[in-house]
Amino acid sequence: MSTLLDKSHTIAPPGYNRLLVPPAALAVHLSIGQAYAISTFNLPMTKLLGTGEDWTLLQIGLLFQVAIAFLGISAALFGPWVEAGGPRRTMFTAALCFSGGFFVSAFGVWVHQLWIVVLGYGVLGGCGLGLGYISPVSTLIKWFPDRPGMATGIAIMGFGGGALIAAPLSVALMAHFKTATSQGVIETMIVMGAVYLVYMMIGAFTVKIPAPDWRPAGWVPPAVPKKLVTTAHVDVDAAMRTPQFYLLWGVLCLNVTAGIGVLSQASPMIQEMFPGRVTAVTAGGFVGLLSLFNMVGRFFWASTSDYIGRRNTYMIFFALGVVLYMLVPTTGQIGSIPLFVIGFAIILSMYGGGFATIPAYLRDMFGTMQVGAIHGRLLTAWSVAGVAGPFLVNNIRQYQIDHGVAKADAYTVTMYIMAGLLVVGFICNYFISAVDTRHHFRKTATSLAE
Amino acid sequence: MTGKMIVLWLIVGAPLAYGIWQTLVNVATLFM
Repeated sequence: MSTLLDKSHTIAPPGYNRLLVPPAALAVHLSIGQAYAISTFNLPMTKLLGTGEDWTLLQIGLLFQVAIAFLGISAALFGPWVEAGGPRRTMFTAALCFSGGFFVSAFGVWVHQLWIVVLGYGVLGGCGLGLGYISPVSTLIKWFPDRPGMATGIAIMGFGGGALIAAPLSVALMAHFKTATSQGVIETMIVMGAVYLVYMMIGAFTVKIPAPDWRPAGWVPPAVPKKLVTTAHVDVDAAMRTPQFYLLWGVLCLNVTAGIGVLSQASPMIQEMFPGRVTAVTAGGFVGLLSLFNMVGRFFWASTSDYIGRRNTYMIFFALGVVLYMLVPTTGQIGSIPLFVIGFAIILSMYGGGFATIPAYLRDMFGTMQVGAIHGRLLTAWSVAGVAGPFLVNNIRQYQIDHGVAKADAYTVTMYIMAGLLVVGFICNYFISAVDTRHHFRKTATSLAE
Repeated sequence: MTGKMIVLWLIVGAPLAYGIWQTLVNVATLFM
């Protein structure tokens, strides 16, 4: 088995069609994207016993937070291992961790021990998320040197799409397995664990990496490299010593903090800003629309960045984001639901676009040699934002309400603070320049291929 | 190679299409 998983066994033969690779990447990302739909388990998991001993929503909320934290931690810690072992070994391990997380959690639900559920889905599953996230992205970057933004957009769009699949699937499965004495959570987790195991293994065993000297047919690297696009390579440790890494960390963190805060409160926000006009069901439709724009934005913006450049793309995210966040309270004051929905749809498209464009930005700055490992370290920004965004939105809203502000106006200050975060992100992005040549990797071409 | 390509893209495309369809049904409530 170890031979089969070996990096040398995943090198594509001459003439291999690179369009066979994106489905392998998507198989993994469509699976792990389930993380965004974990909240579908929330309410059923508060009714497992039907007594006062049941878990609370606050306790179950730990699942997502721990999973995202371990996504960042595992991606940061195991990035160099991912680069050394290649995508097949990584995807194989990610499949075992992610599906294993479901099985352990199902056991935890069965014995009603929350710590086992958190250990399963949060820690083990979170490690599956981290490994499964970075490996397909760095693989596609190597296959599409002519369109790196589009390539990473495809993979990371899958992560957004995974929630669209998992949400109705888990609801349907729980409805199928539900009985008078059971919420159907255990059976659903086992089935989903098994389905994701098979699905991710399809990805693991069909993925290929290009030979070190491979280039797309007819493609010649530009004689004069574009501004801010390096032809050199920077290893992960050297990258960590550059200001560019920390500026990009700030760019990702601030873009995600603003978006994830809104996403976590989208349903109550639209209901409270338009009291009596938006029902819970309609708010569900709004959340669905945001999920769609989050997914489509990943492909659209990342692909666009191939033409207008990564830095310009983030300039648009931050500048347009500031304008839209500043206008949102006004849409509430004038009572315009369509303008509110359009504004947030664009904001969420840029939130997804931020995730999808960052690997190509890293590739431009640091080359392809260890882009997966560098991407892994950068994803700690996501973990920080995953906690900071919802915390800011929830607490500022509560503070406003506690001080007598009407619910409909309780988000105004939050939106202005989000706009402020985006201004800081704009400044971080503005100061990004090419990496100093002293950080460039200087070994021979042979060692680059290792 | 073409057959393999179709199968692989169907494996990932079909569930994604299901997810998008289910979401669109949900989104339709916004306009009702």
